[in-house]
Amino acid sequence: MRPPRGRGGGGGFRGGRGDGGGRGRGGGRGGGGGRGGGSAMRGRGGGRGGGRGGGRGRGGGGMKGGSKVVVEPHRHEGVFIAKGKEDALVTKNLVAGEAVYNEKRISVQNEDGTKVEYRIWNPFRSKLAAAVLGGVDNIWIKPGARVLYLGAASGTTVSHVSDIVGPNGVVYAVEFSHRSGRDLVNMAKKRTNVIPIIEDARHPAKYRMLVGMVDVIFSDVAQPDQARILALNASYFLKAGGHFVISIKANCIDSTVPAEAVFQSEVKKLQQEQFKPFEQVTLEPFERDHACVVGGYRMPKKQKA
Amino acid sequence: MAIAEKKAVIGLSWQPKLPATLSSANTNNNGGVNESQSQRESSLLWRPNTELVDGLFVPPNDPKKLNKLLKKQIKDTAGTSWFDMPAATITPELKKDLQLLKLRSAMDPKRHYKKSEAKSKTLPKYFQVGTVVESSTDFFSSRLTKKERKATLADELLSDPTLGQYRKRKVREIESQNRPAGNDKWKMRGRQSQKRAKQRRH
Repeated sequence: MRPPRGRGGGGGFRGGRGDGGGRGRGGGRGGGGGRGGGSAMRGRGGGRGGGRGGGRGRGGGGMKGGSKVVVEPHRHEGVFIAKGKEDALVTKNLVAGEAVYNEKRISVQNEDGTKVEYRIWNPFRSKLAAAVLGGVDNIWIKPGARVLYLGAASGTTVSHVSDIVGPNGVVYAVEFSHRSGRDLVNMAKKRTNVIPIIEDARHPAKYRMLVGMVDVIFSDVAQPDQARILALNASYFLKAGGHFVISIKANCIDSTVPAEAVFQSEVKKLQQEQFKPFEQVTLEPFERDHACVVGGYRMPKKQKA
Repeated sequence: MAIAEKKAVIGLSWQPKLPATLSSANTNNNGGVNESQSQRESSLLWRPNTELVDGLFVPPNDPKKLNKLLKKQIKDTAGTSWFDMPAATITPELKKDLQLLKLRSAMDPKRHYKKSEAKSKTLPKYFQVGTVVESSTDFFSSRLTKKERKATLADELLSDPTLGQYRKRKVREIESQNRPAGNDKWKMRGRQSQKRAKQRRH
């Protein structure tokens, strides 16, 4: 269990999980657990082993509805920060006026009268957001990029990725579990740049007709053989010189050895599959024993000067 | 207000030649024209009457000059990587808000912020001011009441009753530090100082 976070732990997002469970509603642990517990589901979305925080928590961040914030560009392309009494990561909403998972939105009226909307991106619910806040150097997902997303689950993070890539990009979201795939498909109905695929990511041949070449693969499958799954998909769809972002949950791979050793062995496995890891960040304040590894695939040899 | 200014700027590249009688007929209107003319001086598109041909603006023949003119007219944005976020016109209230954001760590002793990447006093160029929209299922703890909603960030902070006490105390502390030395030195305190005062008098 995660220790309760004190006030102002990292500056930005306090109490992403139901205000810290102050009212005895259970700090976001309760409901989510059911998702991963069932052994009948062997899919990625289900197989997370012990649900993540978030779930039902109300109140994304401490930002209260009606307060004023200033939205500024973030260091990463396509990502913005909203600064007010607190900071929050936000993405520009592709479908103005609609929230995907009851997150808060920020509506902006431009000087020329047009309206723009941003959606708050909760790092407690999204590992990609946690990696961004953890200070990863480059997520490679940017406006216009083509992204293959393995382990899409209900599509909360996918919706933000689709915000980032914008109308010119495309997101192929692969999820095996039908139950969470239903939410994913419903989300994709509103967003034209998301292509939902309800298939097993272990068999990319089954959806090879749907997916074109991609620039980036994001993998959040939390399976013991996730390095192999990533390599298999990369060999089918990732362009040479493309990039990958993988989130590793130590518990899901081997719970008997320390997390650091698990990360190291996973990185070694990736290196054998023509992946070149650039960096590794821990998702520590947001997820326990998770790491995010970012790198390139079949990188071209450096020219000698 | 900013919108009205923008509208005034647009479409001033040429000016119809109005008969003099029309403008002199209404003196009140005349004053308004003078005012707007002072605005035109600063705008890009405005040209003095001498450069107009038959009261019409003719683009320059020189392609260099033309390109320069066109470049000036493109709206300043953060670029396609951030979906063309426009550069906002900075009003005094907006400037206050931005400065307040820089110094927000001083507002609440119990809240800590990450260091901002720009340590300097330069204000951001590309930004937008927005309002948080709560989802319809959000409870009262995550939304402000109608009375608590304010137009600017500064107003919001000022109206927060929990911050008021701390702010007041801090202001008093700083003021007492900066106050010039008073007459405390010569005040009578106890017998010893009375004795010293007597000695001084004699």
